[in-house]
Amino acid sequence: MTNHPIDTIKRVGDVSTNRRRFLMGAGGIAAVGLLAACGGDDDTTAGDVTTTTTKPGGTTTAPMGDGAADLKTGAFAASLEVLAVNTYGAALDAAGAGKLGEVPPAVAEFVTTARAHHQAALDAWNEVLTGAGEDAVDAPPAELEATVNEEFAKVTDVVGAAKLALMLEQIAAATYLEAIPGLETEGAIALAASIQPIDMQHAAVLLFVLGEYPVPDNFAKTEMSAVPK
Amino acid sequence: MSIDQRGLRELIAESEDLQADALRDMKPVLADLTEIGKERRGRPIDLDHVRHVNTERRSLLRKGGFGLGAFAGKGLLATGFGAALTALVASPVTAQEPVDVQVLQTASSLETLAVATYTAALTLPFISGNATVKAFAETTMKQHADHNAAFQAQTEALGGTKQTEPNAKYSKVVEDAMPGLTDAMKVVELATALEEVATQTYVNNMTLLDDTETKKIMASVMGVEAQHLAVLRAVGALLGGAPELIKIPTEPAKLPAAAGSVAFPEPFEGTGMASPPEEGAVQ
Repeated sequence: MTNHPIDTIKRVGDVSTNRRRFLMGAGGIAAVGLLAACGGDDDTTAGDVTTTTTKPGGTTTAPMGDGAADLKTGAFAASLEVLAVNTYGAALDAAGAGKLGEVPPAVAEFVTTARAHHQAALDAWNEVLTGAGEDAVDAPPAELEATVNEEFAKVTDVVGAAKLALMLEQIAAATYLEAIPGLETEGAIALAASIQPIDMQHAAVLLFVLGEYPVPDNFAKTEMSAVPK
Repeated sequence: MSIDQRGLRELIAESEDLQADALRDMKPVLADLTEIGKERRGRPIDLDHVRHVNTERRSLLRKGGFGLGAFAGKGLLATGFGAALTALVASPVTAQEPVDVQVLQTASSLETLAVATYTAALTLPFISGNATVKAFAETTMKQHADHNAAFQAQTEALGGTKQTEPNAKYSKVVEDAMPGLTDAMKVVELATALEEVATQTYVNNMTLLDDTETKKIMASVMGVEAQHLAVLRAVGALLGGAPELIKIPTEPAKLPAAAGSVAFPEPFEGTGMASPPEEGAVQ
């Protein structure tokens, strides 16, 4: 039942193509360059800042600035996903080395699953970025990484690890929440909107495991967002 | 079932405080939007946006979206209800109301139905008799009511008529299901389905909306519905094997391994169950 975001991106990419054709006057347009963030369009020749339009009489290239901002946001989202993957990986390593004491099966399963989810999100963003001619992201935000590493160094048990994971998930969810309304390309919106609920769900289960009510907020909040100001 | 009722009450009270804070934060935004909405009244409908949404929904229909894939997979499209559902979702978005207004009205219809369903569930002895499940149902019901209030206010802020009726399509599903709700698991399954529809509708809406403030409100609700969905999946799993662990605080060491993954079966939230914009629009 669940759609892979790449399929979603291709779907909305098709829609964007149609819409742009309409917006550009349809008639003589044979192909429309589409933001690579929307993907799945064989006619796409554009990177992040240009639209190539082939008309019967020739080809013109027009600036299209909305994709550049989305790619920047996507790159930051990818860096957050790297941080999550690395942190969950470190937690698994610490658990394997016996540094967290006895690890309940549900917690081990959670860490493995959440790590895989964040890796999938990272892969999706990198597919968008590289499809647009950008470099794939493989490094976390330096400042946030330093903070997380500092906190992780203090972790001595499962509860401490769960609290750190909760912080990461809340930061990720809040970051997507703040970013979504500002995104302009449908592919980027669809991808971010398909990830944010999963991070919220990770947070809910962590809250439950930590003995707290799993749905504490009536409306999701952006206070913990890490979107660069 | 062992339940720390005092602790749970404290957590619920804390949660309600947070909800009140969130609503308070939302009110100034909605007040501002009401003024903007007054200015927008009388503006022409964005026909391009209507065409855009219709194009996307046709594409989604081809791919079995809007729940039709599940119906087709079970051979139900040939049934009377399946045919009616097909006709319902195949009807295009109209140009009578802006798409954003229709999206908000449909969202309100889902929230109204959710409130009604949790209200009905709370009258069932096997729900009201379980303190943890009862507290969750009550809190979730209140959250849905507040979501609806936000959607209705935003509908009016955009110059539309607020939707006060429950979603007709899923009301029928709930109505048909009610006589069969003979245990907690069946109620959880029904609630899970409704939360999944709401979550996936709001995820899908993010690519349909034009208005930034509407996107902010919709996105802030989307994640909360996803959390309801996650909790219900976890509760459903525990009801089947370890109901004594449905409590707050729980006992993490005793939770089965599946409790760490059952709440989020996929890395990305889908849109296959999404309600189309006009499904709950005011006629």
